[in-house]
Amino acid sequence: MLTEFGKIFIFIIIAILFVGIAILLSKLIRPKRPTNEKLTTYECGEEPIGTPWVKFNIRFYVIALIFLIFDVEIVLLFPWALSYKDFGIVGFLAGIIFLIILGIGMIYEWRKGDLEWDRPKINSFNKDKQEVEE
Amino acid sequence: MELVNIFEGLTYLKPEITLGIGLLLIVLLDLFINKNKNVLHFISLAIILITGYFVLEQSDVSKAFLPISTQTDRNFGMLTLDAFGIYFKILVLLGSILLVFFSITSAEVKSVNNRLGEYYALILGMLLGMMLMISASDLIMVYLSIELVSLSSYVLAGFTKLRSRSSEAALKYLLYGGTASGIMLFGISLLFGITGNTNLYEIHKVLISAQVNSLTFSTAIVMIFTGMAYKISAAPFHFWTPDVYEGAPISITAYLSVASKAAGFALLIRFVKTVFVMFSEQNGDWNLIPIFDWQTFIIVISILTMTLGNFTALWQNNLKRLLAYSSIAHAGYLLLGLTVLSDKGILAILIYFTFYLIMNLGAFYIVMLIADKTGTEDITKLKGLGHSSPFLGTALTIFLISLVGLPPTAGFIGKFYIFVSLLDSKMILVAVIALLNTVVSLYYYIKVLKYIYLVKGDKIETIPINYSNYIVIITLLIPTILFGIYFTPIVNLANKCVLLLNNL
Amino acid sequence: MNIYDIIFYLFAGITIISGFLVVSVKNIVHAAFYLLFTLFGIAGLYVLLGADFIAIVQIMVYVGGILILILFGVMLTNKIVDVEIKSESFQVIPAIIFIGILMGGLVFLMVTTNWENNELIIPLTTTKILGNIILTDYILIFELLGILLLIALIGAATIARKDKV
Repeated sequence: MLTEFGKIFIFIIIAILFVGIAILLSKLIRPKRPTNEKLTTYECGEEPIGTPWVKFNIRFYVIALIFLIFDVEIVLLFPWALSYKDFGIVGFLAGIIFLIILGIGMIYEWRKGDLEWDRPKINSFNKDKQEVEE
Repeated sequence: MELVNIFEGLTYLKPEITLGIGLLLIVLLDLFINKNKNVLHFISLAIILITGYFVLEQSDVSKAFLPISTQTDRNFGMLTLDAFGIYFKILVLLGSILLVFFSITSAEVKSVNNRLGEYYALILGMLLGMMLMISASDLIMVYLSIELVSLSSYVLAGFTKLRSRSSEAALKYLLYGGTASGIMLFGISLLFGITGNTNLYEIHKVLISAQVNSLTFSTAIVMIFTGMAYKISAAPFHFWTPDVYEGAPISITAYLSVASKAAGFALLIRFVKTVFVMFSEQNGDWNLIPIFDWQTFIIVISILTMTLGNFTALWQNNLKRLLAYSSIAHAGYLLLGLTVLSDKGILAILIYFTFYLIMNLGAFYIVMLIADKTGTEDITKLKGLGHSSPFLGTALTIFLISLVGLPPTAGFIGKFYIFVSLLDSKMILVAVIALLNTVVSLYYYIKVLKYIYLVKGDKIETIPINYSNYIVIITLLIPTILFGIYFTPIVNLANKCVLLLNNL
Repeated sequence: MNIYDIIFYLFAGITIISGFLVVSVKNIVHAAFYLLFTLFGIAGLYVLLGADFIAIVQIMVYVGGILILILFGVMLTNKIVDVEIKSESFQVIPAIIFIGILMGGLVFLMVTTNWENNELIIPLTTTKILGNIILTDYILIFELLGILLLIALIGAATIARKDKV
């Protein structure tokens, strides 16, 4: 007897094995001739500048926070979506009120400009470059 | 389908629905009012007043359980509506109305005037949480309402984020609060595991009929108590109080010290009363299910709370910190009312809390006026306040005397009822300890008075006050003195509410 | 020992070992990634308990949301670029004693208590049942969660937003 989750479990195990075996096999059979050039981080062919550990812009965090809250909202809507039909108009309204409350949150974020991505100031060199690109 | 059933339930929920709609209204209005944000003060005031009207309208309801569900077969629900809850709701609403007046005056709130919409949205959210906390009779509702109150108050504590102290307060509050509510949730899960129910009335039934493992049960109760003790800042869960009270904007500090505490006490009393009390005797003494020794437990907590609060207050030089420790001590006195485990104790708590609300808000209001003008909350900077601003000096004196509990102020009557209820239950030793604590507290309140009147030196400048400030102070001052002499109406009202708590 | 037991110990092992690594590794970023395995292991345990919806929530919200937020938090707080991000452990012995007592106590309670358990047949999928409960007994809670999320949204945005002074 295999439940749906049993299938998912087998899928996960196969996925892990697939990646693991592929990496292990290639490690065993590939030639190893490291040079300085090969060991640098691959950045689309450009010379890597600085470390990858840069301080993130706070905007990422705000967006992630907003995402998280709406994520929870979606999760709460799953059970509602499955069963609202059995409850007639009451069930429908319950979900709609919930959505309106969160919708007001969305309007709030929008009007307050939290969803706008304020771009860093473009200096003249980049600006020219951007105009060329456009 | 069962539309009628839902609507019937909703009529009992008018105050909460008003608050919810008001909250959404404030959020929306804030987006479209760009110039004159001050109008939000008055809109919020109107929302609170309408809510208050609906709460008063319910005062003839003797007792109602609100399942608010589409099913009819459930007897008890998420919320219980009774006179006891209405009494506390009125207290919380009074605190909120005064908070609006605090906010209109406060310089700290003015400095964040462009975020006034968020400020009131969070306050209304907190108020909604407290109203639900007061009438919650299901552990899920208890947890959710506590979270609603906590979330709003974390943000409000750090609302003036340009001050690093304020951010520190918010972060500390969040860390302690998160831990406390985590422990509480674990306790709730244990309790659910033992009894198979989250409804307080159902748990009560299970406890009467079946044998449960008392050790596990006690662990669960202590864990749940942690969450409530955190809200009323009882020791040993009081560490956040001084830092948060000092760092938060004064209006919020004042609000946290009365409203959030009121909700916490209401929840604690309802929890004990609903789950543990089998029946009340003729003289008001409770017969408890002998599975958890509430009396010893609360005596220890309350003595610890007031002693720690009072003794630490002795060394404070910051007025807000001093009032924070004093509020911890007051939580200790209030808990004493619960130790006697009788209706008299609850009566004493109701009376004490009413007076505590008035006098504590009064003291905070004057501290706010002073801090706004001088930019300091240091006690030693108050030199000669009684001479340069005689009205403020006198008012602060009266509020502080009332906080000590000396006659002829309201604070005396509150303490008097607590002590009488203790003596009635023959808990003389506890009463003596409480009395000694009051003596200790006298010292630090008098220290403030000493600086106001007696210490010579550079005088503090005159604090300008306008008519609205006068009106707020006088409305707080009159009951502080009046109830010290003529307190029968409050006692009668509280008595009525306590009696109604009994009939299930 | 049937197949369910083996899977249970597998997930429990993943949870405990990676949970231990979260608190013991020096590099905060590595700790955050070990947290992923802890949360994943717990999701597996939920599935074994028949709480499939909770498991999905665990994956969606914790792994997909909160963990990302934690990683952003680590990257945001790292002020000086070149310094290794490290966390130290203090007071190891008192912590071990305290945790040991706490764990011992909880395990003791868990073993000795007569838990209230209804011998229900665990349904294949719980989401629809949850939906029915949400729309009957917990309809008030459902709407209140909306308000709670709104408050959280406003609060988070207020704190994180840069003030235009």
